[in-house]
Amino acid sequence: MRIKALPYWLFGLFMFISVFAFANKGKKKPAVMARDSSSVQVRQFSEDAIGAYSQSEDFKYVDADTKRELSLWDLFLAWVLNMLAAEVGRSPILLVILKYLVLGLIAAGVIFLVLKAIGIDVGLFLRKGAKKTSLPYVESLENIHEINFDDELDEAVSNRNYRLAVRLLYLKCLKQLSDKGLIQWQIDKTNKAYYYELTQKPQRDAFGSLTRRFEYVWYGNFNIDEQAYNDIDRLFNKFREQL
Amino acid sequence: MEEEIFENRTDLYKLNAAVGQIKDTLGKIIVGQHQSIDLIIAGILADGHILIEGVPGVAKTLTAKLVAKAINAAYSRIQFTPDLMPSDILGTPVFNPKTSEFEFKHGPIFGNIILIDEINRAPAKTQSALFEVMEERQLTIDGTAYKMDEPFLVLATQNPIEQEGTYRLPEAQLDRFLFKIEVKYPTLEEEIAIINNQHQHKRADQLSDIQPVLSAQEIVALREQVRGFHVEPKILEFVARIVFETRNNKSLYLGASPRASLAIINAAKALAAINGRDFVTPDDVIWVVPHVLRHRIMLTPDKEMEGLSTDDVIGQIIHKIEVPR
Repeated sequence: MRIKALPYWLFGLFMFISVFAFANKGKKKPAVMARDSSSVQVRQFSEDAIGAYSQSEDFKYVDADTKRELSLWDLFLAWVLNMLAAEVGRSPILLVILKYLVLGLIAAGVIFLVLKAIGIDVGLFLRKGAKKTSLPYVESLENIHEINFDDELDEAVSNRNYRLAVRLLYLKCLKQLSDKGLIQWQIDKTNKAYYYELTQKPQRDAFGSLTRRFEYVWYGNFNIDEQAYNDIDRLFNKFREQL
Repeated sequence: MEEEIFENRTDLYKLNAAVGQIKDTLGKIIVGQHQSIDLIIAGILADGHILIEGVPGVAKTLTAKLVAKAINAAYSRIQFTPDLMPSDILGTPVFNPKTSEFEFKHGPIFGNIILIDEINRAPAKTQSALFEVMEERQLTIDGTAYKMDEPFLVLATQNPIEQEGTYRLPEAQLDRFLFKIEVKYPTLEEEIAIINNQHQHKRADQLSDIQPVLSAQEIVALREQVRGFHVEPKILEFVARIVFETRNNKSLYLGASPRASLAIINAAKALAAINGRDFVTPDDVIWVVPHVLRHRIMLTPDKEMEGLSTDDVIGQIIHKIEVPR
């Protein structure tokens, strides 16, 4: 109840103070300003004094340092501009070129503003190339789509480098899976990621078995002989036929 | 010719049997948390300390206690509090009136498996006391170095730093933990199973039934075995590239140290052992990387404000780097 009555009470106090203030305001005496009746003598500058000052070295602020001799470049620029002005006056073709040059610059400016407005980085067209990664090495070791597997395999087998040959068989297998759209080849994917990408169970199991062999040979550094390599090669061929 | 033409160069039968036993033992009590259990086992095999982080009530301490119970070794538990002093952990010289000499009274840190509960409740002064012992497995007090017995494993639990009454652990200390395991809330099915176990009084009975499955000596031997696993030079380079990139990534204020590279290799070897291999594959590396790096790197303030997590950045880094093949 008291809380409700409080605003009325405050309003009454405000009104009382306002009325009192206005009533007092009317009673104030007007301010009286005293007039200055003294005479003012207007003084003039002496022309001689101004002349003397302007001749004085103390008031010549352009010193030797500021006085710069025109350089060869300045002279050349002035000569070009003078000639251009004279030529433009004489040759209507040059006038047309200049006109289109100005129009071209205006058009480029408009295009720049439009690209900027729609959020395209204009610098992309001007830069020489993308900024290099912070890693100080070449990223991609090889692209499976660019390897000539038959030649590489022949060479590895003829050198009796069966570890490398198994690796090439596995990469070839990944390429075939990628070509058939069964996996999405990406450099950051592991063998397990490709395994889970295969949706058909028989395919996945066979790929898992091949992966295990590849991992033992390549990551596990297991040396294999010709017989073991031929067995693995047969398994890869069998898998390829199933695709 | 169809299966298993390769045999591991290391006999992993005993190791795999022990891992299976630990998993079974823990699985009897802990519902879910399979990844956390794998990581703890990997940590034990990799000779690394483990930090388990999670909100209160997600069985962090229980998991750590069970691991300790599954191993027959000297176990001690330290509850970290804001008023804990370094001497409360390490020990202190005490005057012996009979001999008129000071004798060192060993603190609870002297043991094989040390469970530090709520580690981030103690301030930096107390945390600093752990630096030497965690890294060098020794303590120097009054000029005398005290060697820790092998195995020496610190299993610490902590609440997320946003929680009331917690301190951020110093970077130097975080770097000494091999893994930071984040324990999440259980799924609905797991929650039902937890309630059901409690309702049927299963947990209390099973807790007392836990028997040690590994001795301290066996752990030392298994660690030695894992240390000798093969890692291809290309995989070593792969790890180095990942860690190197953390130091140049624009989203990160603090990158990982070379200790992180070593930790990744050790952890990947341990994971390979759990998976029955005596060599490391890129899959092992990628699996352990987030758990090894998440506590060792720091986001820039702007990325933190954008809501990015260290795990997000680690994911981006892994996607940038070519898997060796």
